[in-house]
Amino acid sequence: MNPDAAPELAELQALLYRLIVAPNGVADALANDGDATNLESIIIGDSRMSAAARAEIYSGAYFYRLLDALKEDFPATLAVMGGDEFHNLITGYLIAYPPTEPSLLYAGRYLADYFDQSPMLTRWPYIADLARLERALIESFHAADFMTLDRAAVEAIAPHDWPSLKLRFHPATHFLDAQWRVDEIVRAVAQDSEPPQALALPVRIIVWRKDAQVFYRTVEAVEAVALALIAQGSEFEAICETIGAGVIDENAIPQLINRLLVRWLDDGIFLNQSAA
Amino acid sequence: MTGDEFPALGWGIGLRRPHYAEILFQRPAMDWFEITTENFMAEGGRPLEVLEGVRANYPIVMHGVSLSIGSADPLNRGYLCDLAALTRRYEPAWVSDHLCWTGVGGKNLHDLLPLPYTEETVRHCAGRIRQVQEVLGRRILIENISSYMRYRASRMEEAEFVAAVAEEADCGILLDINNVYVNSFNHNFNSKGYLDALPAKRIVQFHLAGHRDCGTYLLDTHDQPISNEVWDLYDYAVQRFGRCPTLIEWDDRIPSFSELAAVAVKARERAIGISEYQSVEHTSGTHTERRHDDRLAGPAAK
Repeated sequence: MNPDAAPELAELQALLYRLIVAPNGVADALANDGDATNLESIIIGDSRMSAAARAEIYSGAYFYRLLDALKEDFPATLAVMGGDEFHNLITGYLIAYPPTEPSLLYAGRYLADYFDQSPMLTRWPYIADLARLERALIESFHAADFMTLDRAAVEAIAPHDWPSLKLRFHPATHFLDAQWRVDEIVRAVAQDSEPPQALALPVRIIVWRKDAQVFYRTVEAVEAVALALIAQGSEFEAICETIGAGVIDENAIPQLINRLLVRWLDDGIFLNQSAA
Repeated sequence: MTGDEFPALGWGIGLRRPHYAEILFQRPAMDWFEITTENFMAEGGRPLEVLEGVRANYPIVMHGVSLSIGSADPLNRGYLCDLAALTRRYEPAWVSDHLCWTGVGGKNLHDLLPLPYTEETVRHCAGRIRQVQEVLGRRILIENISSYMRYRASRMEEAEFVAAVAEEADCGILLDINNVYVNSFNHNFNSKGYLDALPAKRIVQFHLAGHRDCGTYLLDTHDQPISNEVWDLYDYAVQRFGRCPTLIEWDDRIPSFSELAAVAVKARERAIGISEYQSVEHTSGTHTERRHDDRLAGPAAK
């Protein structure tokens, strides 16, 4: 609390906060209140509406504003669970992770973490992966604007600098390791189709932003190895050696590396470090 | 409040997602846009790209919902830094937020809650507004909120409270006409009396919006056409405060751009009609205060 604020104001706001966020509403919170708060002595009620009914308006607004925002942020999760279960989920989520940030943008930041501890995983074992992917799409969408490394920038790198080159990911590039093909669910829902049955298949998913649009796809095994090395800060030469060690035909190595690099550059997953 | 500090922007609408493409690619006629500040407090991406494009062609003002100027918590310094950075980058004509609290104990309710109308709260809010103005290097506007509860601890009327805070903080007032009407129903007071109690020199901007009748109370929803009663109160506000820049607020079930633009035109025509009528009255000897009659400038691009 702010030491400069009148204690009455702090107490009033703390009380109202507690009543407004109470999961079963103001009347229930008052009925179960050990302090037996007399709300009529704080809020002016009248013949039209009691003090509790007036506070209840804020309680409903709090929950439904956040519910609506989270429905918009997690459309595939909502489609899988259905409206009633999603409603119940958000009731619990807001108790566990009440909003602390000024923007609603952050309200769903911990939904996947909440699923990790939730019994709902028994019914939908892929739901945490799904929420994590949907959150990554939002994080990517709003990530900081920096120039991406493109083909022209790469062509300007001197040959003797290539072995020690360290690539860095753009802030809009995200990775997640999922145990299920949740990308297929997100894609289906985005196309207004019914969410398909989730396939149990461990995958690494890359999320990136290009021209202000967010994309995602699963990465192939050799690509996953290379991307993991880049994330660790490995030099380009070491990455090539690691990839090459897994390829039988030595002549195919340059082609493979070139194919991966061109795709990454065209997608814009790297930061242009000289412009950042 | 001087015209240089708060320019005569005319009649605008809120910048909302369904209209982005039309505004960016067709550049329709509109005096100015009001943005919801927090929607653009991301680090980057599409929203800021859109804002950049809009700002290149129209004046904007920044309207926040999370300053929580009346909270018992300390001011959120991180939020203030972000607000200052956004202000520097997009150079809005002005910055506004609400005279309310939105959270406490580090938690956010994402709603605008009323304050007790007391001398202590006036000092508390005014001191914090001064701090914000210091950080931003400019005066801000505070908006009267819609509310559904009043406190027994209050020692003055809402209009008196808004006026006292604005005077002590030396800031402007964003007068939301719909909120006055909604509150006059919810708390049984005379809406014109409310306007009469406000200091004309502090009024910089008007908001017009729709509400829903929930039987025992009116709910400020911004998803309905502006009611006849609110239009009438707007007429009265123009008579009393002049043609302040006016914003049509619509946040849910948003109509097409052209429909909203037509509402802005309607507000313009009513305001001009009122002013012309007043001019006739003035020449025939009836004096009415007309402070903002010069506020008809066209759009000024950045």
